[in-house]
Amino acid sequence: MSKQDGSGRQVTAEPTDDATATIFHVDMDAFFASVELLERPELRGLPVVVGHRSQRSVVTAATYEARKYGVNSAMPMAIALRKCPHAIILEPHFERYKHYSQQVMSMFDDVTPLVERLGIDEAFLDVRGSLRLLGTPYEIATRLRQRVHAETGLHCSIGIASTKFVAKLASSVAKPDGLLLVPHRETLAFLHPRPISALWGVGGRTEEVLRGYGLATIGDVAAAPLDMLVRAIGAAGGQKIHELAWGRDPRHVTTESEEKSVGHEVTFESNVGDADRIRSELLRLSDQVGRRLRAAGATGRTVVLKLRFGDFETITRSKTLAEPTDLGRRIYEEVRGVYETSGHAGSLSRHPTPLRLVGVRMEQLAFEGSSGGAVGLWDDDADWREAETTMDALRARFGPGSVTSASLLGGSTKRISRGDRDTNGAAQRGASATDAS
Amino acid sequence: MKFQVNRDVFSDAVSFAVKLLPQRTTLPILSGVLIEAHEGGLTLSSFDYEVSSQTSIAAEVDEPGTILVSGRLLADIANRLPNAPVTFTTEDTRISVSCGSANFSLLSMPVEEYPTLPAPGEQSGVVPGDAFSLAIAQVAVAASRDDVTPVITGVQLEVTENALSLVATDRYRVAVRGIDWDPGTAASTQTLTALVPARTLQEVGKTFGNASTLSVAITGSDDRELIAFQADNKIVTSLLIKGNFPPVKRLFPETVENYAVMNTADLVEATRRVSLVLEREAALRFTFTIDGLTLEAIGSEQAQASESIDALLTGEDTVVSLKPQFLLDGLGAVHSEFVRISFTKTENPNKPGPVLITSQSSKDQPGADSYKYLLQPNLLLR
Repeated sequence: MSKQDGSGRQVTAEPTDDATATIFHVDMDAFFASVELLERPELRGLPVVVGHRSQRSVVTAATYEARKYGVNSAMPMAIALRKCPHAIILEPHFERYKHYSQQVMSMFDDVTPLVERLGIDEAFLDVRGSLRLLGTPYEIATRLRQRVHAETGLHCSIGIASTKFVAKLASSVAKPDGLLLVPHRETLAFLHPRPISALWGVGGRTEEVLRGYGLATIGDVAAAPLDMLVRAIGAAGGQKIHELAWGRDPRHVTTESEEKSVGHEVTFESNVGDADRIRSELLRLSDQVGRRLRAAGATGRTVVLKLRFGDFETITRSKTLAEPTDLGRRIYEEVRGVYETSGHAGSLSRHPTPLRLVGVRMEQLAFEGSSGGAVGLWDDDADWREAETTMDALRARFGPGSVTSASLLGGSTKRISRGDRDTNGAAQRGASATDAS
Repeated sequence: MKFQVNRDVFSDAVSFAVKLLPQRTTLPILSGVLIEAHEGGLTLSSFDYEVSSQTSIAAEVDEPGTILVSGRLLADIANRLPNAPVTFTTEDTRISVSCGSANFSLLSMPVEEYPTLPAPGEQSGVVPGDAFSLAIAQVAVAASRDDVTPVITGVQLEVTENALSLVATDRYRVAVRGIDWDPGTAASTQTLTALVPARTLQEVGKTFGNASTLSVAITGSDDRELIAFQADNKIVTSLLIKGNFPPVKRLFPETVENYAVMNTADLVEATRRVSLVLEREAALRFTFTIDGLTLEAIGSEQAQASESIDALLTGEDTVVSLKPQFLLDGLGAVHSEFVRISFTKTENPNKPGPVLITSQSSKDQPGADSYKYLLQPNLLLR
C-alpha cells in the first residue's frame, strides 16, 4: 500500500511540452473530507475525520493532517481515535459529495469526450484529441486543476502518462494538490524503483509470493524471467504484471464501464454469531440483489458470499451456477449452500465466531440481449420466478416495504445506522463509500 | 520378465488401453499402462479410479512378470515401431524394448502401488455393437460439457425389458434414441438406469463399433455404481455419475401437426453459409411458409445474409430463431436424406415452443429409426 499521507510526494514543477503522455488520472484530494471542510472552513489545518461517532463505525475519509497520525480510510473509528485522540469527527453528507462530483466531472467533460469515471472522485481522461485545441497535456492539466479549485474550492491531483497504469501511479505520487507528468521515454525510470505493491493487481498475498522470490521493486519484476513469474502467480497474472512492469498497458480510456457485480452487505450493530440470524440476513440480502438484477435487466452467474469476522478478518467464497439467474430465491439457495460449507455454520462449530458483516454479491453479469435470447428447455425456478415478478409488481405499486418473505418479518436484525452499504459495481470500479485518496 | 509380441497387435492393444486415460492426473502411476505377461499371453490395463480399460492379446511369453510404464510414451513408441516382432525384457528397474533395429529403454514405475481394477459385474444384457455405437454418436452431441452440473454431462441409459434408450441434454436440447436390448437370462421387469460420462461413452462407441455383440453389466452398491462394456477381449468400466437425471423425456410432444420437411444436405449447407456473418452466440432466423424456408442472419452492421431453400410445410407459417450449431448438431445426427422439423405449441407466451428434429426417408415418408432431437429456440429478438 502506498502511504496516504502525502509523504514521498513528487510533482512536475516546470512546464513541459511533452505530448507523448496524453492519459490523465485525475483524483480528488481527500474528497469527502475536503467537501466537509468547505462548510467548516474554521477546521482547515486540523486533523478531521469523516464518519459516525460510533464505536462500530469506520473512517469514511480523513484529511491529510489526520493521516499524519496514521489514520486511514476504512479504519475502524475506535482505532482512529486511539491514534489521533483530538481528531474532529464530522458526519458524512453523501448528497454533497454527489453534487460536487457531478460538478467536477462536467469540467472533465469540457476537456475531452473520453472520460472514464471511476466512482465518485476519480477519472481517467484521454486528451489526445484535445491537444490542438487546448494545448499541451501539461497546460490542459494545469488549467483543469486551477478551474476545479476556483469553482469548487477543492483540490485535485493529476497524473499524466502514456498508459492508464502509469498515470494512476503518477497521480498517487503527486498527491496532494500536485501534478506529475511522466513522458513516455521516462516511464521505466519512473516505474522501476517503485515497490511491487504499486503494480496493478498486486495485493497482500501476491506481494508476499513475489517477495518470496526476492522481487521487491517493479524493476525486479521487469528483470525477472517471465516463466518464473508465471510459476509464482499463474499464467494470466504473471503475464500481466510483466507487461505492466515494462510500462505496457493496452487498456484504453473507455467512456462507459459496464457494471461487473451487484451486491449488498450489512454491518451489524453488534457482532452476530447465531447461524440462523445469518441465514435470514442472507435471504434478505439475496432478495435485494435479485430485485436489483431484475430492475437492471441483468442476470448473474457467480454468487459470492462475504463474511467479516469480529477481528476484521474477511473471507469470500463463491460458486458458479449452472444457469445465470436474477431470482432472489435461487441466489439465496446457492449462497446459503456456500455459507453452510464455509465452516462458519454447521455442527462442528456449535458457537460460531461472531460476524461483523455479511454480504451477498452476484458476478459474471450478463445484460438483456447479450445472450442472443437463449432460453433453456426447462426452468427449475419457474414458480419462484412468478412469485418474485409478482412481488416486484406489488412493490412498484404499494412501495418497497409492502411485501417480503414471511421469515423476514418480526425479529428484524439491528443494523448499523446507515443501513446497508451498497456494493454495486462502483465498489468494483475503484471507489466505495470510503475515500482513499 | 521376457516376451515377444506381434507389432500390430501390440500397438492396437496399447492405443486402446491409453485412450481413456485422463490428459492430466494427480498420481503419476495412474498415467501408466500395466502389462502382465502370463502363460497365455499379455493383459494390458489402465485405470484412473473412474474409468478402466483392459485387453488381452496373444504373445510368446518366455518369463512371466508384470511391469508398469508410461502409457502415452508407450503408445507413441508402439505406433512408430518398424514392422517386426517386438521383444520386452526387464533388467532391474529398466525395461528394454527392441523391434528390428530399434531399441528403447524405459523406466518401470512401481507395480505394487498400482490400484486393482474393478471387476465387472454380472451381465445385464447385450446390444449390437454397430447400433449402440451409432446411437451413442447421435445422442452424446446433446450432452452438456459444463462441469458445473455434473448430471447432465452424462448420457442416461435406461433399460426396460427389450429396449435400451439413450438420453442426453444440456438444457437447450435433448437427444433420445432407442435400440434393441437382449437381457438374456437377466430379464427383469424393473427399469435399469445408468448415467455414464458422455466422453467415456463416446470412446466406448468408437471402440466397440465393429463388435457384433457387446455385453453390458450395470452393477453397484449405493456409493459405487459401475458399468462395464465387454467384447472382443476388451473391457471398459466406468463409475456412474451420481444424481438424478432430469425428467426430460416428458418435454417431447405427443403429437405435432405443424411441421416442415427439407432436404438435409440443403439445410446444412444453407445454415453453414448464412451463419458465416453471425456473431458468436447469435441465432439464425428461420421463416417457414408455403413457399419454402428462408434463413436470415443479421450479424454486425457490416454483414447480413439470407438464403431460401425448398421446404414442404404442413400447417401454419412459422418463424423460429435457432442457434446454428445446435441445429447442425441435430441435422448431423439424423442420418437421413430428408429431415422433419416439427413446431410444438407453447402455453408460455414469453417462450417459443421447442422444435423437434426427426429423420425422414423421403419427402413424405418418416424415417424408421427412433431418433429424436428436441431443440429450444431462442427468443425472437427482432
